[in-house]
Amino acid sequence: MTVSDTAWKPAASPPAPVSAKSPRNRTNKPARSRRWRNFVWVLPAVLLLGVFAYLPLVQNLGFSFLKWDIYSGRQTFVGADNYVRMLNDPIFWKSLLNNTLYAIISIAFQVFGAIILAAMIEGLRSQRWRGILRAVYFVPSAISLTVAGLLFYFIYEPEMGILNAALDVLGLGNFTQAWLGQENTAIFAIIAMSQWQGFGYCTLLFSVALQRIPSELYEAASIDGVGPLQRFFSISLPLVREMTGLMMIVTVSGAFQVFNEVMVMTSGGPNNSSQVLGTWLYRSGFVRNDFGYAAAVATAVFIITLVLAVIQLRISKKRRVQW
Amino acid sequence: MALLAAAALALTGCSDGGSQPAAALDPNAEPQYTGTLSILTKFGGDPLEPYFEDLAAEYKKLHPEVSFELIQETDQSIKDKTKTLTASQAMPDIYFTWAGSWANNFIDGGLAADLTPIIAPGTEWGNDFGESALKAFAKDGKYFAVPLYNNGKFMGYNQRIFKELGLTPPSTFDELISSCSVLKGAGYEPISFGNKDGWPGLHYLQQLFAYEVPADTLQADFSPATAKLEDRGYLKAMDQFTRLVNECTGSGKDSNGVLYTTAQQALAEGKSGMYYQEILEFDSTASADSKLKQDGLGIFKLPAAADAKGDTQAIEGSPEGYIINARSKNAALAADFMKFVTNSQNAAKLSAPPYGQPSAVKGAVSTENSSGPVIEGIKQVNEASAAITWLDSVTVPAVADAWLAGGEALVAGTQTPDQVLASVRAASSAAK
Repeated sequence: MTVSDTAWKPAASPPAPVSAKSPRNRTNKPARSRRWRNFVWVLPAVLLLGVFAYLPLVQNLGFSFLKWDIYSGRQTFVGADNYVRMLNDPIFWKSLLNNTLYAIISIAFQVFGAIILAAMIEGLRSQRWRGILRAVYFVPSAISLTVAGLLFYFIYEPEMGILNAALDVLGLGNFTQAWLGQENTAIFAIIAMSQWQGFGYCTLLFSVALQRIPSELYEAASIDGVGPLQRFFSISLPLVREMTGLMMIVTVSGAFQVFNEVMVMTSGGPNNSSQVLGTWLYRSGFVRNDFGYAAAVATAVFIITLVLAVIQLRISKKRRVQW
Repeated sequence: MALLAAAALALTGCSDGGSQPAAALDPNAEPQYTGTLSILTKFGGDPLEPYFEDLAAEYKKLHPEVSFELIQETDQSIKDKTKTLTASQAMPDIYFTWAGSWANNFIDGGLAADLTPIIAPGTEWGNDFGESALKAFAKDGKYFAVPLYNNGKFMGYNQRIFKELGLTPPSTFDELISSCSVLKGAGYEPISFGNKDGWPGLHYLQQLFAYEVPADTLQADFSPATAKLEDRGYLKAMDQFTRLVNECTGSGKDSNGVLYTTAQQALAEGKSGMYYQEILEFDSTASADSKLKQDGLGIFKLPAAADAKGDTQAIEGSPEGYIINARSKNAALAADFMKFVTNSQNAAKLSAPPYGQPSAVKGAVSTENSSGPVIEGIKQVNEASAAITWLDSVTVPAVADAWLAGGEALVAGTQTPDQVLASVRAASSAAK
């Protein structure tokens, strides 16, 4: 049994009768006036968004064409020089690769892993246990990223950290190492912390989406002899695909904007091995005094996240579930 | 896209900046004892935070119309804070500075008041300071900052452990390595080392470069305009550093995952025999309740190799000071406050525990107010042939950053000294 885009729709309610006072019967003038009144209501929000979101975005684009000495205030137009340097910068590409790894692993764990966990939790008969497990998985998401980063720094600490101590106790002493101090493990150690932190939040959202699926569908499938696994693939998964699309956008955008956990745990080191675009633009500006170059990296981050979001929005729009 | 870029440029606007050489502070200007003085310090956190708070309160008692806005940052956070304030043109009246390239940025940008008429050697105020401390913030014969305290880097060791094992402070690099095996055999971590922030490794490297690279070459290599970075001494110094990390530290290749405070704690608790530290750290490492205080903290200069070709009498370290903002409307008041901060009484207070910051004011560090290691450290700094500024502030940030990444790679063993030097050379070349 599969559910197509329009296979299950609740019976449409009859259209409301058009009353004599309905807006359609009014003259154009009051309608226009009402439109202006509506616009006035949203104007403060539009202004705030414009001043604090879009204006800095445009200004950042301007800075990316400059060489900017913050000490003297001197700004020199250098054309596309910062972008050319960026494309030839191995640390920029390393950072982009790390962000991509972050996105791929986050999709696997925080989207697909979370759906499976949510389905398992919602499949439990005990209402009490469902509530307890939702809370247990959600708690890490309530911890700030900075605190979680510090917490994991001490878990990963090579000499006193509990991870190496646990490996020793389990007889896996050969695997102990400086998780954040080695170039080949640092970024994966940070990504692992991030999964722990974000997993519960995604699970909770998928739980809500699963609860919205009418139980009649599951009952009908059970009567037809469909097993739990097939029910998951044929009912649950297709009917939460809108949430899946949303979570993909949030997760991928988040993966390309990651900053706090990397700064707290490694600052992008050792030897720039855990650098991500966010920390590299910060380092370029605030450590290397190269603010024009940092603005170019920021523009690249914006373009990447914008393009990914547009693609995902288009895909998820086509796959919208209609009730 | 082109239109958007043009609009963006119009919004940001190119400017040639407003930097001009800062005018010299008028030595006869009378301070107006009114208004608010804003100060950016590097004394955030315990035990340093109360120092400026107490001084501000005392100054306010003398001049009730003056109020203070203290921005207290830590060693780690002050760089970001300073750059944010600089970029937003909101620098306070008085602000912290390191010597070298860090201070020069403010001097060249016209953000540092020229204090020559009031603090140059030979002036009434200037005579309070050692000349070398004043010269650390001099450029083109002009003086731009008030040196607050001196600093230098030394190997701190546990005197009880050394005595028990029959060790004496080593005089050559090879002797240092030999003493490590003795300590290791007795169950101690020979040298505790935490390089999570990268700069602890740079401190070792800079001292070893001073020993192995001829002084003139080293100075020329700090500036990208004259740098060649071809001397074999760099490779030899990097080899020594990796040898020290692998043979003397307990964490070895894992040291990039260890905090420097963890390493400091290991010496304080008597778990390690040695820890390379700044004079500013002596009193906090051997704090009153620490095991190290009972055992005794001794210090010695990181020993050079017997055949070193550089300046083996040089010590890494430099004074740290405070700049008066050239654009401050309260410049005369700011200078008056800094004179108050550096009077003999407050200088002695700064040099004594719990602060333990050896004041740059002559005679402020004495047996009456300072601990033995601090007095010994300052004595050795004064006797050194040269003070070599920290590697992360003596050169331009892009080159310092390349050294930092290279230092981490040497610790982890992922790059050879040749590869590190090549990457630094490339960064220096790009920064020309």
